[in-house]
Amino acid sequence: MGKVKIKRKSTLIDMTAMSDVTVLLLTFFMLTSTFLQKEPTIVYTPSSVSEEKVPMNNLVTVLISSADKSGKYEDPSLLEGKIFISFTGDADSTLSSEKIRLMMLDEAVELYNEQHKNNPVKLNGAEKAVFSQTNMFGVAFADLPALLSMSPTERDKFQGDMANPKVGIPINDNKDYNGNLNDFQIWMKAIYNVAQRINKEQGDMAATPEERSNLQNLYTALMRKGQGIAIKADKDTPFTTVQRVFDNLQTMKLNKFSLMTALKSEDEPTQ
Amino acid sequence: MAQIEQSDKGKKKKGAQKKIAIHVDFTPMVDMNMLLITFFMLCTTMIKSQTLQIVLPTNEDVKKENQNQAKASEAITMILDTEYNGDKPAVDAETGKTIHNIYYYEGVADTTFSTDKYLRKEQFIGNQNRQPQGIRKILRGKNEEVMAEYEKLKTQWKNKEISKEEFAKLAKKNAGDSNKVRPVVVIKPGPNTTYEGLINAVDEMNINQISRYSIELPTHTDTVLLRHYEQAHNETIIRPLVRKAK
Repeated sequence: MGKVKIKRKSTLIDMTAMSDVTVLLLTFFMLTSTFLQKEPTIVYTPSSVSEEKVPMNNLVTVLISSADKSGKYEDPSLLEGKIFISFTGDADSTLSSEKIRLMMLDEAVELYNEQHKNNPVKLNGAEKAVFSQTNMFGVAFADLPALLSMSPTERDKFQGDMANPKVGIPINDNKDYNGNLNDFQIWMKAIYNVAQRINKEQGDMAATPEERSNLQNLYTALMRKGQGIAIKADKDTPFTTVQRVFDNLQTMKLNKFSLMTALKSEDEPTQ
Repeated sequence: MAQIEQSDKGKKKKGAQKKIAIHVDFTPMVDMNMLLITFFMLCTTMIKSQTLQIVLPTNEDVKKENQNQAKASEAITMILDTEYNGDKPAVDAETGKTIHNIYYYEGVADTTFSTDKYLRKEQFIGNQNRQPQGIRKILRGKNEEVMAEYEKLKTQWKNKEISKEEFAKLAKKNAGDSNKVRPVVVIKPGPNTTYEGLINAVDEMNINQISRYSIELPTHTDTVLLRHYEQAHNETIIRPLVRKAK
């Protein structure tokens, strides 16, 4: 009997096809992705059947922190109800997020200083530049310079600590419009003022009535569609906590706003 | 594929260099790509959040005579409540969802408690076997005329007789049609209601095409009704606040 010849096979696996596939996948993910914006605290929004998408541009998000779920704190509600604000501008560069944030900051600081003549807030150019790069912030005006002079990691750590009484935009005082505005109301007023100013400027620039009606700017988003302000809160947050924000917005006559939810089908039990 | 094959045809010339198959190893490239993919997968949001729009009144004082009074026959008041287990919302063992209760009455509050209907308890159940259950059934019953038209429009849309935009427009018009009998719903989230309870209630309004609803805080009368209900049914609804306002 003749010997069976075992053919020696090369153990090399050809990776070209594999690399083709991975590159394709990579391209897909790169093109479809929108990066998760860094938020100081994670909230799980309740779900609704509403199919309206959160607008990508021209949005003011008000985040309300949830109670402690880790069981680290004796009183879980210690962490609850801290307010954070984030501004997103237009997709194009004329009114980019950076520019919108600067305009909001200038307007808000001016409003604040008018009200607090004795201890005004002063921000230098570097601090303002940092603010324009910050997605979400949540401190009182008085603490703003300190927050903006921190390094990015320090800032994230500072804002991520919900137990810190300095974190969160003050919202509780001054329920009535005629009195002094609280910090949250000042921000809301600044948003309103800036939105109105932009609308006027852009309206003046628009030559034809059609152009004017096609304006998709912050003002139209904010004032007419009522999508400009979105409230994001945890599903287990008590209504009383969320109501504080509602109440402040109602006081500022910004009474048409949207609530962020996740999607679910009509047949699902809502309970 | 990665080798560049060189033909060996023809006779080898004398002194010709030995031909080596050129082979590029793509393994590190694949490794790197996989890492990048993982990074992008973890950093992206594929699903965008939805929004639910609400309109609330401003805090200005409205004079009594300027207020629109809803017809008593059309009004439904829903008092919301969430059950708590300690300081966390109580969860249904079967479904794993938070337990929200709705105490509702129709028309004007019946403080004489003449019938059992002064306050009735319901829950958000959604649909079962495609049939509305719980509070949805009651709201749908109240808004029958609008819903009948809405279902018709929906079938038209599904049969591609009208476009999605047209459907949305017509449905909105239908929900606000003043020639039809439409309810006015007052949603009153009690102090222990969670945000989810409120969203569920607003959601039911959208599902049942109820265009007239408002969100208000419970009044003293509501407390009286709840107290009476508690005694009659041996339940505890009004509990101390889980979270004290800070």
